[in-house]
Amino acid sequence: MQILFDNLQVLFQGLALGSIYSLVALGFVLIIRATNVVNFAQGDFAMLGAYAMVMFFTGLEWPYWLAFIASLVAMAIFGVIFNYGVYYPLRHRSFLPVIISTLGASIFLQNTVLAIFGPQPRPMDKVLAADGITVGGVFLDSQYLVILAVTMAMVLFTYVFFEHTLLGKKLQATSQDKDMARLLGIPVALMISITFIYSAVLGGLAGVLVGPILFVSIGMGSIIALKAFAATIIGGFGDVTGAIVGGLLLGVIESLAAYHISVPYKDAYAFLALFIFLLIRPSGIFGEKVSEKA
Amino acid sequence: MALLELRGISSHYGNVQALKGVSVHVDEGELVTLLGANGAGKSTTLKTISGLIVPTEGEVFFEGKPIHRAGPEAIARLGISHVPEGRRIFPGLTVRENILLGASNRKGVPRKQLEKEADEKFEIFPEIRRFENALGWTLSGGQQQMLAVARGLMAEPKLLLLDEPSLGLAPLIVQNLFATIRDIRKRGVTILLVEQNANMALSVADRGYVLETGTLTVEGTPKELLGNEQVRAAYLGGHHG
Repeated sequence: MQILFDNLQVLFQGLALGSIYSLVALGFVLIIRATNVVNFAQGDFAMLGAYAMVMFFTGLEWPYWLAFIASLVAMAIFGVIFNYGVYYPLRHRSFLPVIISTLGASIFLQNTVLAIFGPQPRPMDKVLAADGITVGGVFLDSQYLVILAVTMAMVLFTYVFFEHTLLGKKLQATSQDKDMARLLGIPVALMISITFIYSAVLGGLAGVLVGPILFVSIGMGSIIALKAFAATIIGGFGDVTGAIVGGLLLGVIESLAAYHISVPYKDAYAFLALFIFLLIRPSGIFGEKVSEKA
Repeated sequence: MALLELRGISSHYGNVQALKGVSVHVDEGELVTLLGANGAGKSTTLKTISGLIVPTEGEVFFEGKPIHRAGPEAIARLGISHVPEGRRIFPGLTVRENILLGASNRKGVPRKQLEKEADEKFEIFPEIRRFENALGWTLSGGQQQMLAVARGLMAEPKLLLLDEPSLGLAPLIVQNLFATIRDIRKRGVTILLVEQNANMALSVADRGYVLETGTLTVEGTPKELLGNEQVRAAYLGGHHG
C-alpha cells in the first residue's frame, strides 16, 4: 500500500513539474507557429517573470496578489518590447538571423538580471500559506496544487481563446499564411505582437509558479526551456496539444525515474526520453498534424 | 471617375521587371478582364493593386485616392478584396472559419451578423455547405476555389480581384463558377478578372486588356478582342468563331 502511495505522490509532483514545462512549451509553440522561429529566450521569460515577482513582492513589499498580477502585466509589456526589439526588425529575413537574435536576447537578459539582482538565488513565498493537504496517504503540496490548477485554467483559456473567438482564429490564420491574412485585412503585426505578449505571460507565469520550488536564479530559465523544448519535440513539433501533453509526460517520466532509479540524474531522464522519442517516433506524439501546416 | 486607375505602373521582383508602364482603369460596376500568357504580369498587376507589391514607378488610385503605398491591410479595409492565385485557403481552419475571416477588413460587425452573412455565402455556393465544419485542406480544388471566392465576398468589396479562378478546375465546375461570377457582378460588385481561359473570361466581361511580358498590347470590348487576329492567334486558339 505504501508503495502505491509513494508512486502516486511522485506522479503528482511529476504532473506539477510537467505543468511548468507545458506552459513554457506552449509559449514556444505559439511563437514557432506565428513566426516559424524557435525563440531561444523562451526560458528567460520564466526567469524574468520570477525576478519581477521577487522585485514586486520581496523588494517593494507589495501584497502577494498585487505582485503576482504586476509581474504578469510586466511580462505582457515585455512581450511587446521583445517583439519589436528582437523579432520585428528581422521579420523579412530567414529564420537564422532571428534565432541568433533570440540567442543574443537570452544572453543580454540573463546578464542584465545578474547585474541588477546579483548571482545569489532568491527564495520565494508560496502562493498559499498552507503547506498542503494529505489525501489518503498522499501529501499534496499546496504550491503543486496551485501549479496544476493554474495550468489547467490556462490550457482551458488557451483552447477557448484560439478555438472559439474570432481573434484566436485570426491569430491562427496569421500563423498559417501571413500574406493571405494581410489580404483579408488582418493586422498581422498586431497579431504577432499579441502572440509574443501571450507567450511572455505564459513563460512569466511558469516562472512565478515554479519560483517557490526551485529558488529564483539566473539560470532557472535555461533548464526549464531545455525541458520545454524537448517537450515540444516529444509532443510533435509546433503542435499545441503536443506541447501540453509532452510537457506533462516529461515531468512524470523525470519524477518517476528520479524516484525509482537515481535523483542526481534527474535532468538526464528528460533528455533520454527525448532520445528515445527521436529514435522511435521523430514526428512526436501528435506529429502527423505538423505536415498539414504546409 | 474610374473606381480603380493604374497610371504607368512598373513593378519588380528583385531585379526582374514584371510590369513596364501599365495603365489600366476599371469603372464602377464594370467587369474587366486581364488576359495574357503565363508570366505576362497578370498576377503581378493584381498584387500591385492589393498592396502585396509596391510599384517602383507609377501610381494606383482607388476612388480617386492614391493607395500604392498603403499596404495590403489598409487597402483591404478600403474595400478591395483580392482572391489570389492558388486559392490560399487557411488549411488548419474550417470552411466556416475561413469564410468568417473574410470580413476581417470590416470593423465592429457583431459575430452574429457575420455568421448570418456566412450562411448567405453558403446559399451562393451550396456545394461547400456540407463541408462547413471540415478543415480547409480537406477540400478539393474546385471547392477551395468556391471557398476562396466566398471568403473574398465577405469583405463586402467594392472591387473584387479574381486571379485565375478557373485554374485546374473541371470544365463543368468552371461553367458553374462563371455563372456565379456573373451573379456577383449583378449584385453591383466591380470585378477585375485575371484569366488564362480567355474565351470564358470574355464571355462575362465588359472590357478586356491583353498583357504581354509586362506591357499592355491590346484593349477593347470582348467583341473587339475576339475580332483581333493577333489576340485570337495567341490566346483563343484557332477553333474559335
